Amino acid sequence: MLASLRNVSKVFTDPRNGRGLVALNGIDLDVKEGEFLCLIGSSGCGKSTTLNLLAGFESPTRGDVLFKGKKVIGPSPERGVVFQEPSLYPWMSVLQNVMFSVQEKNGRESLAMEYLKMVGLDGFANSRPSDLSGGMKQRVAIARALAMGPDLLLMDEPFGSLDEQTRRKLDNDVLRLWKEGSKTVVFVTHNIDEALMLGTRVVLMSASPGRIEREWVLDADWPRDLSSPSMMSLREEIIGMLQACACANGAAPVQLLTIGD
Amino acid sequence: MAVATALDTGQAQFVFRPETTRLMAKGTWNAFLGIMVVVFIWWFVAEAMMFLRGVPFPTPPETMSAFWQAIMGADVHGESIFAHANASLQRWGQGYLIALVLGLALGLAFGTMPRLHDVGMISVYVFQMIPGLAWIPIAMLIFGLGETATVFIIVMTAIPPLVINTAGGIREVPAVYTRVARMSGKDDSALFMKVLLPAASLSIINGMRIGLANGWRVLIAAEMVVGVALGLGFSIYQSRYSLDFTASFVSIMAICIIGLTIEKLLFVSMENRVRNRLGLDRED
Ligand SMILES: Nc1ncnc2c1ncn2[C@@H]1O[C@H](COP(=O)(O)OP(=O)(O)O)[C@@H](O)[C@H]1O
Ligand SMILES: [Mg+2]
Repeated sequence: MLASLRNVSKVFTDPRNGRGLVALNGIDLDVKEGEFLCLIGSSGCGKSTTLNLLAGFESPTRGDVLFKGKKVIGPSPERGVVFQEPSLYPWMSVLQNVMFSVQEKNGRESLAMEYLKMVGLDGFANSRPSDLSGGMKQRVAIARALAMGPDLLLMDEPFGSLDEQTRRKLDNDVLRLWKEGSKTVVFVTHNIDEALMLGTRVVLMSASPGRIEREWVLDADWPRDLSSPSMMSLREEIIGMLQACACANGAAPVQLLTIGD
Repeated sequence: MAVATALDTGQAQFVFRPETTRLMAKGTWNAFLGIMVVVFIWWFVAEAMMFLRGVPFPTPPETMSAFWQAIMGADVHGESIFAHANASLQRWGQGYLIALVLGLALGLAFGTMPRLHDVGMISVYVFQMIPGLAWIPIAMLIFGLGETATVFIIVMTAIPPLVINTAGGIREVPAVYTRVARMSGKDDSALFMKVLLPAASLSIINGMRIGLANGWRVLIAAEMVVGVALGLGFSIYQSRYSLDFTASFVSIMAICIIGLTIEKLLFVSMENRVRNRLGLDRED
């Protein structure tokens, strides 16, 4: 097992109003070496919290987060993260942003250049992040995460703010990098189609308090045909479960019909 | 003109003539109008006061010609305007330098240590609330009359904005920037130098600018306690005894001109350069 959450709970407390919020309650999750794990669920169900725990940005209130058998005590280059929000340093060039995360002491520039090449942006090495489109920025963020030489790649709705077409293209890039580099990926999304397109396993989370509802193993080969009968029925099943969870939590079902796009 | 041409010929992009660009970019015309408004208000008040109260309120032309004579070497309250300005600039420079060192150090410490921030910020806010004139008795009690008291007042009024903006700038650095550095295996000093400082630099410069302006403005108050008969602020007060109001208006003008020049020339260009370096001018 590459990483696991063992009976993990996370409580956020707000000292200003004296309230506590149980973001996760008793989660068990194993991330197997080489898999492409997709975490889905409506917003606020604790997907980001789960990812932040794996990354080491947050520590669990109860339970253990393990990576390669050892307790996670903080962030490390072994676990690269691609964030949803803009995370490139605007005062550095694209190349400098990637170089910042290269771990090797020597030949950082040429190494960084190689990672930029992997995402097809070596031509923009000297540009500023502000000169790039949203999709290009996220590709640089991916190059930067890869430059850390991580064993686990954690991606938190990395393409959530991009248009549909760009998202599809980047999904394919991620898939290719995952296959070529034989990496392990945990990919958070609220887009069911994206999860079905990419994952070797899909884990559905639900909210209030955040917990794991169900999981599906996908063994179809890529590129996947989402209009095939088996995929269609799986899709229906997941949408059904998402709605059921959401209704149990008092959300309007109409809202969720749009989740699958 | 260029707009019409572009539309008529169906171009997708065009550039204005250099002269037009310069005029649009610098807002020269608006600045000129702005100055005219100031002069008009001044003149109106001056004439009104002379008419209603019969006081010798210096008008813009009178002051301008006195200012010109002062530049040419005429005495302003016993000394040349340059001697006054030089004395003020030196006091202010000393005070500002001390404030800069202390303010930046405190601001950086507060910005990186939340507990220290919550405790220490209280006194900074209290200091900030104390108006320039109110520092006079305090300065006199600690240092007596003289240069040190003047410099002390400048330091005390320049420090709060430096601390507040430096600490605030660092605390407002997006968490994701820190997370990226941490997961890339950077230690505290690399995080500070490579991430926190650049990310907060605009806010720090802003604090430096406000501190500078505060220190310059408080000169007038601070030079009340100065022992020597020298300084632009001193010269303004002096009209209470000499009744030479034109001379104090000349000094007020000198203060405005020096203050604006330093702020606009030094800080605006510094800020633009940093903005550019940081790639923040095109932030989305
Ligand atoms: N730092 C935090 N402080 C307080 N509450 C938080 C914090 N981070 C997340 N939460 C809360 O925890 C819950 C789960 O959040 P999150 O993991 O971001 O959900 P998701 O990524 O699935 O949308 C939400 O209700 C959110 O408001
Ligand atoms: Mg989230």
